[in-house]
Amino acid sequence: MKINYLKPNFMKTSKFFINAFLSLAFVASFTSCSDDDENPEPVNEEELITNLTLTFSNIATPADVVTMTSVAPDGLEEGMTTENVSGNFTAGATYALSLAITNASETPADDVLNDDIIPEADEHFFVYGVNDLNLSLTRDAGDVDGPDGTKLGVNTTWVAGDASTGNLQIILVHEPDSVNDSNPFGSATGGSEDFNITFTGVSIL
Amino acid sequence: MKNIFFILFILTSYSGYTQQCDNVLKGNIIDFHDNSALENATIRIIGTNRITISDNQGEFTFKNLCNSVYELEISHVACKTKQVTLEVAGDTFKSISIEHHIEELDQISIKGTSKTETKTAQETILKSNVLERYSSLSLGDALKEVSGVSSLNTGNTIVKPMINGLHSSRILIMNNGVRQQDQEWGIEHAPSIDINNAGQISVIKGSGALAYGGDAVGGVIVLNPSRIINRDTLYGKTILGGQTNGRGYNISTSLNKNYNTGWFAQAQGSYKRNGDFKAPDYNLTNTGLDSKGFAARVGKRNFESGFELHYSYLNNEIGILGASHIGSVFDIARAINSGQPLLIRDFSYTINAPKQDITHHLAKANYYKRFRGFGKVAVQYDYQYNKRLEFDVRIGDRRNIPAIDLTLQTHSILADVDLDANLDRKINFGVLGRYQNNFANPDTGVRRLIPDYDKYEFGTYIVTEWNVNDKLLIDAGIRYDYSRIDAKKFYRTSRWEERGYDVDFADIVIEEFPTQLLTNPIFNYHNFSATAGLNFELDKTNSILFNYSLASRPPNPSELFSDGLHHSAARIELGDLRFNKEVSNRVSLSHKLNSKRLNIVSEIFYNRINNFIYLRPFAFTLTGRGPFPVWAYQQTDAELYGIDLTVTYEINDKLHYLNKSSLTKGYDLETDLALIDIPPFSTFNQIKYTNANWYNFSAALKSEWVFEQNDFPDFNFEVEDQLTEEMVLIDISTPPPAFHLVHFYTEATFSLSQKTRLNIGLGVNNLFDTTYRNYLNRLRFFADDLGRNFTLQLQLNY
Repeated sequence: MKINYLKPNFMKTSKFFINAFLSLAFVASFTSCSDDDENPEPVNEEELITNLTLTFSNIATPADVVTMTSVAPDGLEEGMTTENVSGNFTAGATYALSLAITNASETPADDVLNDDIIPEADEHFFVYGVNDLNLSLTRDAGDVDGPDGTKLGVNTTWVAGDASTGNLQIILVHEPDSVNDSNPFGSATGGSEDFNITFTGVSIL
Repeated sequence: MKNIFFILFILTSYSGYTQQCDNVLKGNIIDFHDNSALENATIRIIGTNRITISDNQGEFTFKNLCNSVYELEISHVACKTKQVTLEVAGDTFKSISIEHHIEELDQISIKGTSKTETKTAQETILKSNVLERYSSLSLGDALKEVSGVSSLNTGNTIVKPMINGLHSSRILIMNNGVRQQDQEWGIEHAPSIDINNAGQISVIKGSGALAYGGDAVGGVIVLNPSRIINRDTLYGKTILGGQTNGRGYNISTSLNKNYNTGWFAQAQGSYKRNGDFKAPDYNLTNTGLDSKGFAARVGKRNFESGFELHYSYLNNEIGILGASHIGSVFDIARAINSGQPLLIRDFSYTINAPKQDITHHLAKANYYKRFRGFGKVAVQYDYQYNKRLEFDVRIGDRRNIPAIDLTLQTHSILADVDLDANLDRKINFGVLGRYQNNFANPDTGVRRLIPDYDKYEFGTYIVTEWNVNDKLLIDAGIRYDYSRIDAKKFYRTSRWEERGYDVDFADIVIEEFPTQLLTNPIFNYHNFSATAGLNFELDKTNSILFNYSLASRPPNPSELFSDGLHHSAARIELGDLRFNKEVSNRVSLSHKLNSKRLNIVSEIFYNRINNFIYLRPFAFTLTGRGPFPVWAYQQTDAELYGIDLTVTYEINDKLHYLNKSSLTKGYDLETDLALIDIPPFSTFNQIKYTNANWYNFSAALKSEWVFEQNDFPDFNFEVEDQLTEEMVLIDISTPPPAFHLVHFYTEATFSLSQKTRLNIGLGVNNLFDTTYRNYLNRLRFFADDLGRNFTLQLQLNY
């Protein structure tokens, strides 16, 4: 009997393996050279606040100045801060407060107060606090308008009462839900604190 | 060439016209997968009435054939009928193989029961009829159908699946054969997967599915698309849904075209939208969702070979509760003490910061071929592109710049071989190569959360399955994975020194900046994993499964490199470059009882994890926002154990009862503390009435009872209010009280025409508008969970 063996499967099999292997090798080589070895750039942190300075100037006696500084080279947000108070308030005197909020990690230093906070005053609010310290303040008529008809709290006038020693706190609230300045120290609900700094050992002599 | 031979052949057969038709065609019929002879196959010559049957050697003979081309049709019990064209030129021999065991070999189920991915692991399957009810929700919501699976939520739309108390990098998700790579390490990063895209989902507790990976300390989730039918058909499905809570709506539609030649094409699209959700007493402002998904598959699928091209796209824009944006621990204290969110607005669809905008593309190509008497070989290439943008509350022009901008690209190639010539002793082995690149865009103006890195992975595995006898099945496998991460990471000089890296890792600094250092950490990990188990049928109704799994997981980028403020948690989180891999030894034992009316699945497990990595409070740092807790990733030894129970009881033909209960415990063995975020005991009871004769009507009343978690680590802390110098307690640990919710669901199906069915489902979630907070919802400090929600879903099958 004559027998015709039909085309064996064998050829197809080896061809498949070769094709499969080649395509795997191709893909592997493609993926491994898609990379380059350049180093990434450091991120320039834009939202950083590194220096906060409160300068209280006696309206009557220009030489009478109380300065409070808070410095955080890595930013107030999560870096370690160093607070410093120089000078003492004089009982019965009136002071104008001048704020400076800057990012000194950039050269020249970035003026965060005038470039970011004041242009968006309706989303910010300064809250002040004192403890065991006879200081009172008023938000100036010329103060920047804050949220909902309030005063932002950038331009304030402070009156030192009887001699005392205590703490002074300044908080910047971002996007508060509601704010109130009927007590000029101010209060806010909701939002998040951009900074919350307390200066200790502040004295009125 | 072939054609020329064919023409020549035709010519010769014509020229031999006068020749007598006395040729003999001899042949044999063999089983494709193991070359064994198939007896009693029917062989018919098409166009004639000549029929014969193969003998016990599988052989058959036709006599008196001409020199010509014949078409044969071979049929055999439980085999797919096969047609063969052959040329008879003189006496001819032809060996014909057909497959008798398609069901066992191809994971195709004819009886309607689903094939599991594993044989001895604790695995549960969710089928399309269950998944369809979650069309408007997320993967994590659907998986909670499985006893022992819970979810870690950030709000109600970011839902991370949790298996037996473990989540994130400890859970491996396979999406249509592709391992999902979407920054899954993050606690607020839900899987970028559209549930409407899945035809069936397997949930495997533990790492028993070694072919998918060796690092699934918690478990494996396998999503498979709907099955391809080899028949000329065109069918589709459209789901329309609406929900009152959040004023949500969703549409999902899919179209399938199949051919009996094996060719197929599928396309599916879905869109979901909702505005602000509502708790019983107030709106949950900024909790909207906008989700768009699309997927397409095309290919050819036959028993002997096939290929598939698959592409899917998903974009999710997810709002995060506005009140959860906090800046300091005092903010979190105020949020906890106020008892309700500090930001409540009128309903809106608008999604503002904080929000996430995630885009995920997945493309894959695969090919498989079966070899006679050998098995199946498959090769696959896949690519994923994941873009994660997280928008924070920022000021000025930076408002529209994301605070996190990560691009993760992953290429994988794999080859897999199934040796199934011997169905009683199957072997499966394969190799895998993967390259991944993460790019953190520096334009965010925020220091990178996760550094730029390249990651290389290589894996190889072999698993075997042995049917010892009708009652006993044993499986075992081993796997080796190599993983290399090569990162470019910036450290603040202050942090670098504080962590002591300047001593231990001085050699990896490659560039120095005024306040920062650029480093190049390169780490290699060698991971071994293994599994062994048995499945033993005690009798007709009882079976026992035992499984042991060893899994090794290298630390993820966040565990290695985190260093910075986690805004929504008001804490600083620190990784550790010194971490080694995490190793889990898990044993599990399951008992299944399947009787006529009563079914009980009891699953117990014990998971001992050495070098378990988790975040724990570590120190305080005083910042410009007041004191911040510092949480550091720690490596410790931990144990988890628990029991999951699923009971179904048929009270009568129409009334069914279901109970699912789950208890999980987890402890840090070094500190003797309970692990954080372990699901409390929960029990789910359902009574369901069904009437098949009345439009397949069903109505179910469900009770969900979640206990209070009494076993929690006390990470509460006190901070000084610097102004008043008083101590303030920040209670971030105390779990919320137990809650009990009642849900209702009813549906019916109407035949609109011979091929068109309409299913209408109506549901009420949280029927009594109960106020509650969930321990496993990370926004529980800020707001109550969802109130009552009416849902309506129309599903049209055509």
